[in-house]
Amino acid sequence: MTFRVLDPTPEKAPPVGQLAPRLATLQGKTIGFISNGKEGTKGFFAHLDRMLREEHGVAKVVSRTKSNYSAPVDAHIAAEIRNWDAVISGIGD
Amino acid sequence: MHLASRTYDIDDFWAVQELFHANGWTDGLPIVPPTQEAVSACLEWAMADPAQLVGIEPVRGVAITAEKLAINAVMAGCLPMHFPVVLTTFAAMLRPDFLLHGATASTGGCAVLIVVNGPIRLELGAAGAFNALGNSDRATAVIGRAIRLCLINLMDVRPGAIDRSTLGHPGKFSYCVAEDEEDTTWLSLAEQRGIPKEASAVTVMAAGAPRQIMNEWTTRPEEILETFAAEMRANLRHYSIHPGNYALIIPKQLREHLQAAKWSKTDIANFIHERARIHRREWAEVGKGAVVRDRGDSVYPAMESPDQLLVVAAGGPAGGFGAVIPPWLGNKSHAVTVPIGACIDCEPPKK
Repeated sequence: MTFRVLDPTPEKAPPVGQLAPRLATLQGKTIGFISNGKEGTKGFFAHLDRMLREEHGVAKVVSRTKSNYSAPVDAHIAAEIRNWDAVISGIGD
Repeated sequence: MHLASRTYDIDDFWAVQELFHANGWTDGLPIVPPTQEAVSACLEWAMADPAQLVGIEPVRGVAITAEKLAINAVMAGCLPMHFPVVLTTFAAMLRPDFLLHGATASTGGCAVLIVVNGPIRLELGAAGAFNALGNSDRATAVIGRAIRLCLINLMDVRPGAIDRSTLGHPGKFSYCVAEDEEDTTWLSLAEQRGIPKEASAVTVMAAGAPRQIMNEWTTRPEEILETFAAEMRANLRHYSIHPGNYALIIPKQLREHLQAAKWSKTDIANFIHERARIHRREWAEVGKGAVVRDRGDSVYPAMESPDQLLVVAAGGPAGGFGAVIPPWLGNKSHAVTVPIGACIDCEPPKK
């Protein structure tokens, strides 16, 4: 017996965001960190902050932490992104 | 009825199984082949247009249509009469309070507990007595499974993909219970949450595995409920200190003692709220001293308020057992209750 069966998946890929233009240099730039707030993020971002400033000449690092690590970023943090040259988002698992 | 999904012509039943397994479209168990006839029958029963947009998954922007839910419901073994419950359950999970992405992606490994209330339970033969949290009946088995297949296939909630669970639990195959409304004097869970008795409803909760308790050596409500509260305290100590929705499943034997003493669900919730709480310093007793810090005297209740407790009458007639079902992670996800079949335009779709 032949079956004609239907595809159970969405078929259409969900809309994807576009990557921002890559930076030619980190020198003098402002970099934003968005942490999900888990325990493992503290050491990671502290180390990255030091690396970016000391080894790559980053002018300023802005650190923000989501209020709920399982939810999308808070609107007020998203609104700040336009003031940064690049964003690094990290999870602590 | 016009269905938009891609079709595959497959030689036989076993080849269908292999196609679906090879594509990662199953939960590891065999599926019912989702044919056009079976899927259309589900949609017609629910008076849902195939293109009906049930919602958009908020993090990745996936459009959830009635057609795709129906395909997965058929695969799970649903009959058309089960489909309205699946449709409503997924709509409930899409409410922002449920935090669907977090609840299904988290390493915490929770499942979606579905509690069915109202007259539809009787129409479906959804049983809330023997083996209520296990394989009690066809309806709850296939409805719970349908939700998992929908998550797998519509949102890529596959192990190692969106589903990052460390352990998960058996409820991720199916986790649906019907309340035993006929054998209790209590208001149903849905009534407690504002749904009229005549309406059917589903409540969804991002839930850990059931923790079973036993106390058949007392008839006093305070002592019975102290055992439930102790299990909740154990969860606060061993798992998570965050307050949120807990469910208590109370079978007939213990329920009758509570009802005989005229304790309502609200009375139970008030008592549990007072008793299910710990001091942060207790974490030091279970190996978590590192996070007590200087807050040892702080008190952590299992719930922010008594109305976060979901009390469900269900279980077989004998046995002094009960179950505590803990939240995935406190208030990050909230239980949501939605009536079934409440709509603003109930005209059947055009053929």
